[in-house]
Amino acid sequence: MTNRQRPALIASLVTWPLVLLIAFPLLWMLLTSVKPQAELFTTPPDFLPNAITFEHYRRVLEETAFLQYFRNSLVVAVSTTLLVVVVAVLGAYSLVRFAYRGRELLASLVLFTYLLPSVVLISPLYLMLVKLGLANTLASLVAAYTSFALPYALWLLRSFMAGIPEDLEAAAMVDGASRMGAFVDVVLPQALPGIISTALFSFILAWNEYLYALVLVNSDEARPLTTGVMTMLISAFNIEWSLLMAASVMMSVPLIVIFAFFQKYLTSGFGAGGVKG
Amino acid sequence: MVQVVFDKVRKAFGDTVTIPGLDLVIESGEFVSLLGPSGCGKSTTLRMLAGLEQPSGGRISIGGRDVANLPPAERDIAMVFQSYALYPHMTVAENIRYPLRKRGVPKPEQATRLAEVAALLQLEPLLDRKPRQLSGGQQQRVALGRALVRDPSVFLLDEPLSNLDAALRAHMRAELIELHRRLGKTMVYVTHDQLEAMTMSTRIAVMKDGVLQQFAPPAEIYDRPANRFVAGFIGTPSMALAEATLLRDGGGARLQIGAMMIDLPGRHAAAAPCAVTVGIRPEDIVVGQGPWQALVRLVEPTGHETIVALEAGDLALTARIPGGPRLHAGETVAFDVNRARLHLFAADDGHRLALDITDTTPPRSA
Repeated sequence: MTNRQRPALIASLVTWPLVLLIAFPLLWMLLTSVKPQAELFTTPPDFLPNAITFEHYRRVLEETAFLQYFRNSLVVAVSTTLLVVVVAVLGAYSLVRFAYRGRELLASLVLFTYLLPSVVLISPLYLMLVKLGLANTLASLVAAYTSFALPYALWLLRSFMAGIPEDLEAAAMVDGASRMGAFVDVVLPQALPGIISTALFSFILAWNEYLYALVLVNSDEARPLTTGVMTMLISAFNIEWSLLMAASVMMSVPLIVIFAFFQKYLTSGFGAGGVKG
Repeated sequence: MVQVVFDKVRKAFGDTVTIPGLDLVIESGEFVSLLGPSGCGKSTTLRMLAGLEQPSGGRISIGGRDVANLPPAERDIAMVFQSYALYPHMTVAENIRYPLRKRGVPKPEQATRLAEVAALLQLEPLLDRKPRQLSGGQQQRVALGRALVRDPSVFLLDEPLSNLDAALRAHMRAELIELHRRLGKTMVYVTHDQLEAMTMSTRIAVMKDGVLQQFAPPAEIYDRPANRFVAGFIGTPSMALAEATLLRDGGGARLQIGAMMIDLPGRHAAAAPCAVTVGIRPEDIVVGQGPWQALVRLVEPTGHETIVALEAGDLALTARIPGGPRLHAGETVAFDVNRARLHLFAADDGHRLALDITDTTPPRSA
């Protein structure tokens, strides 16, 4: 072995156990979801299933409200993401480009909201949503998740936009664009990596949130996957492990797909910053 | 005809007044440089002309049209930025076509104009590249191309050469002169580099602290600086400025600079006695002969000429003598000054005195 290969070998020795450690629960989830019921509780446990069955998937999809919950989660996550991205992009642009009284204070206050534990906010938020007539609706979840994701999104995008040279917009405006046109033609493409990061963050937050969903929503029409799957498969007397694993696999798939798709945008975008002379 | 007029234009940021009141008329087809040290308001002036800053008062018109309420897009101007401001996500071709696209120029015409500009600036091999794949000089040419492609009535250039290395800067200077000659368009050029201003401009507007100091052709700025600031700012090495006294001597006048006495023509006697600042350009000092003695402090050969720092009593002078160094630091030499080319400024506010010596000599051609 040459000296040049040694660091790579050491890196492999360190990272592979870590990867296996992190991936094992996911793998176990996948394997459990396709094992026949009879194989689940054998001792010692079999690592690989002796027979593969998709019975659990069929039961989750046909005999439970899983698809309803899935649809709810999707609506909530997509709406939250869109709302957060639109508001945060415009807000961050305003914080970076326009001078007005209290701008810095506003930016700091926004971050201040993160100092409060989310449990503290649950009761007031619930009461507000009841007064607004939004209790027990998907809209209440969108409102709650937007209020969590927005401060972080604003700060993330603010730092991204601060890195976009003002001259670029000035050039676009001299070249014939309106301010809005310059924003769309020049600022948005430059901020794209930041926008994608923000969108991913918001989507994951809305998709995985549990506590607020548990408190704000208690009907199947508006229940998202996280609380829905828990209430239908876990009771005080019994946990439907095989169904739970099948449902978990299907819950994770959208996130994995989205991550796989956007990962290259996330990394490639960072190299495309402004031009310096 | 595209005349650019600044009429009592004022700019304040909050309580800080950066430009108290600017009057400037730039004639059609001129190449005007706004020259001054950093913070003198030259960039702000250009940005107000572009519509990127709003004046706090006064009026700006381009081609007889008041542009107060016009956004930059409607002022029929093009601008080259110091940072080039190329759109990083667009190719060179897309960058150059952008102003045409924004103005709804039909696609075939866009292609023709792009081809013309690319040929003019030798950008053809680069059209498909992204700005980050270009060198500084290439980026500069793309920025110029984006300004040229639309055929605007006024070009605004904000220190476009300051990010280039010395050789490339000299080359681009020549190209800009050629471009201005060929297009005959009004150009307004902001720079802090007097060499750029002197070589390219038809007229130079020298600014300091937001106030226009002098607006004149380069030769006149050099030969007849309007005040002490312009005198000291223009010229490398800079003009020696010394406190002096103008004395009456019978029917004539004498200038006393420290221990030196210089006889002046009689008409100067009218103002005497008074305190003045005298300015002497390095090339107006004759070394090797003359009535006065000076100590050679420093000799800087540049090849075709030699810069010599002299010390005559309290008076520090810089002389420019042609050819290689014939002097050595530490020796004492005789020197004289070209009396006809002395500059006199009022000791109080520094304005050029009307009874100036060079008033009778026509400005040398540059």
